[in-house]
Amino acid sequence: MNAVIPPLLLGVVVAWPLLLAFPALYARVPWPRQLATVPALLLAVLPGEASLELSWLLFGTGFAIDGQSRWILATAVAVWLMAAVTAQPANEGNAGRCTTPFFMLTLGGNLGAILATDLVGFFSFATVMGYGFYGLLIQGSDEAARRSGRCYLLFLIVADLLLFEALLLAAFTAEDLRYETVGEAMVGASSMSLYLWLVLIGFMLKAGVWPLHWWLTAAFCTSPRTTALLLGGVPVAMGLLGLLRWLPLGEYAAGGSVMLIQVMGAGAVLYAVFARGSVKTLPARVAVSVTGLFVVALGSGLAYPAVWRQYEFIGYPFIASLGILLAGLGFTTGRMKGARYMSTFASRRLGALQPEVGRWIEIVYQWAGDRFSGLHSLWRVSWLKAVKWRIPDWRNLRTLVEGWSATITLFVLLGLALAWLAG
Amino acid sequence: MSANGWLPLLVILSSLLPGLLIFGLAEERVRTRTVLNLTGAVVKLVLVGWMLWGVYNGHHYEMRLPLLPGLELVLRAGPLALLFVSLSAVLWLVTTVYAIGYLEGSPHRSRFFGFFSLCVTATVGVALAGNLITFLVFYELLTLTTYPLVVHRGTEVARRAGQSYLIYTIFGGSLLLLGTVWLYVLTGTLEFTPRGFLDTVATEHHSALVVIFALLVAGFGVKAALIPLHGWLPQAMVAPAPVSALLHAVAVVKAGAFGIVRLVYEVFGVEFAAILGVTGPLAWLAAATIIYGSLRALFQDNLKRRLAYSTVSQVSYITLGVAIAGPVAAIGGVVHLVHQGLMKITLFFCAGNLAETLGIHKISEMDGVGRRMPWTMVAFTIGAFGMIGAPPVAGFVSKWYLGLGALEVGQGWVVIVLAGSSLLNAAYFLPILYRAWFREPPHVWPQERDFGGKETAWALLLPSLATAAMALAAGLMAAGSYSPLEWAKLIAEQEFYLK
Repeated sequence: MNAVIPPLLLGVVVAWPLLLAFPALYARVPWPRQLATVPALLLAVLPGEASLELSWLLFGTGFAIDGQSRWILATAVAVWLMAAVTAQPANEGNAGRCTTPFFMLTLGGNLGAILATDLVGFFSFATVMGYGFYGLLIQGSDEAARRSGRCYLLFLIVADLLLFEALLLAAFTAEDLRYETVGEAMVGASSMSLYLWLVLIGFMLKAGVWPLHWWLTAAFCTSPRTTALLLGGVPVAMGLLGLLRWLPLGEYAAGGSVMLIQVMGAGAVLYAVFARGSVKTLPARVAVSVTGLFVVALGSGLAYPAVWRQYEFIGYPFIASLGILLAGLGFTTGRMKGARYMSTFASRRLGALQPEVGRWIEIVYQWAGDRFSGLHSLWRVSWLKAVKWRIPDWRNLRTLVEGWSATITLFVLLGLALAWLAG
Repeated sequence: MSANGWLPLLVILSSLLPGLLIFGLAEERVRTRTVLNLTGAVVKLVLVGWMLWGVYNGHHYEMRLPLLPGLELVLRAGPLALLFVSLSAVLWLVTTVYAIGYLEGSPHRSRFFGFFSLCVTATVGVALAGNLITFLVFYELLTLTTYPLVVHRGTEVARRAGQSYLIYTIFGGSLLLLGTVWLYVLTGTLEFTPRGFLDTVATEHHSALVVIFALLVAGFGVKAALIPLHGWLPQAMVAPAPVSALLHAVAVVKAGAFGIVRLVYEVFGVEFAAILGVTGPLAWLAAATIIYGSLRALFQDNLKRRLAYSTVSQVSYITLGVAIAGPVAAIGGVVHLVHQGLMKITLFFCAGNLAETLGIHKISEMDGVGRRMPWTMVAFTIGAFGMIGAPPVAGFVSKWYLGLGALEVGQGWVVIVLAGSSLLNAAYFLPILYRAWFREPPHVWPQERDFGGKETAWALLLPSLATAAMALAAGLMAAGSYSPLEWAKLIAEQEFYLK
């Protein structure tokens, strides 16, 4: 354990934003949103590992930082700082000031969940984060925002109930609720299968993984820029992190049921690629496809624990890069949307931008077209057509690929980054 | 008799004497009445603190007074009794401060505070009772002292509510008396004993014991608002807010639930009750009450009425925890006695604040009230999330232990009931919070009072914030050395199973 990080800092990272949620305090502090992230920033940049045991907190919990959680923490700090800068109360008037408590609660909950060392700590802080985020989601207070907020809230409540049941199963089986103890205890437990599905569905609801993604699409469309920026780094990333932390990955072979998980993941990717949508839904579709990829990997890890053990170090950087990627997308589309909605002008502007980004795709496409000229006819007579699936013809496929050039580019970049990390 | 023997009696006298003195005070003697009220509450708190320390360190506090030939009035302070006494003592002090602010300038305050003190006296007597007859005496005294509080406003609606309350509780008291007498005839003792005193009763009396159990549960169930004996509780919400707070969080419903705890653990003994087959039906009745109360709450527009149905649901968690018949569930049920009290009193205080400050009685009138009364609504929000069972508020801890206890004894269906209840709680509390925090406030409130630019009177606001902070702390620091949870564990260890 390196002494550079005082353990107390771990507690301050979580407590400071929660304290700043009180109007009496944040009103007296200059730049409260930026200041709220300072201890977390310090923790992310200071080298070494640290842990803090809090035997009196909840049922006895603690915080810790290690190499893996540092990835997530650093991303979270970056995303929150971006959100803090873009959501200056001065820029948003009184409405912005009203959202500060929700901003602080969500931030505190987010940091607490990242640093928590056990399931109850994670669950509790994630719940605080979830309800705080609801406040950020509906700050626009128009009908669309309310609808999307309601949808999110419903998913959140159901997810929390499922995870609560999973927690009870874990507590019933394991001696304590630290991640590693639960992992070891659940592997041989008769309730493992139920636990697995409760955790999977619970966190998939929280992360907006297809086919449980409705709230995410709605939220990206209706939320203001600051909130859209946080969507990927906060609820989505925490949902995926929960899956990593709660499941005994690399230890448990789930058997045949993992096929369903992989199908869901693949379905998510396909859905994101083929779903029609405007630029407003672009970050949502990217989120759906990337979380789909994650679920495919998760399913493979549950099928082949040895493979997961070999590549598990990618998991945390993957979630971290997803947070940054979606924040960037949310920010960009949010900027183009103006204050709240995509204007026709901005839509056209993004449309003009896409061919530039995707010029390389056009080249690859042309090359593939020349090499495999018979492919499109094969495509047309495929058995899928026989069962009346809606298959886009060759020309539509081309339009679709071009229309998604930015997404595909981001995918490829992400893949390259992951390959580099894996190497 | 040693000094230790006098302590339980002194705890009772600390509210009885101020109560009797207050009856004799003229209406305009505001300061004297306030001093008497607060002195009594503080003295009680100190005495209870003393006993808590003593019991924690293994001291024994008991007093016996002759009542009838062969029967004694027994006051005894064990861990279970002290849990309830501590709750009453703390919340009495807070409610007294609240009531002073709430009733400022209103008529009949001496009468109100006199009965208020007697009500707490009876509650503490119920908690400290060392046998069933002592319990019965204070239990009936509680009925008589709370009736004037329910009808305090003197309106037709209040009188009707009082009448209903009296009919229900006297009926319940009669069943309780019948059951107690029958039990005494059968066993010759009524002494509360850890693990019960009935397991030696001959087998041929077992069917009689089942009937006695049913009579006693019905007697306690009236005050604990078990269906179908709950009808009085939603009607009694016409009482002033401090009375509602007291009825729902400290005194009446808690006395009923506490009676069921005593009955199962210290009269029948949970193992013997399970052998008789009475805990299963009790658990189902409690589960049905939990769901029924939540469903009824869902459709109430009157805020206090919604809270009242919520009480019907939440108090049955205690009964459920007891009836599940396992040590972990017992911890959940017993600790919910405290947790529900802290959360529900917060909600009723806040409802009172809204009514007194803005004239808001209905949920449909609460649009944007969070902007006008932010601190009140912060307290309300904490209480509401606690009721839903969201961490880190106290309700989460109760549900955790109830769920875990149910799994421990192989009653997984209870977990489904808890989840359903949480969902329903969310369905009837979250819309209130949405209205309060996210809707635009109206231009004019129904009946706004000016408190000199402040949100509301300090005497109304501080108690709400104090109890909300306690509810939050009880959950957040559940594993702390002096938390209600740790005390509930001590009860499970010392009185039931583990030692």
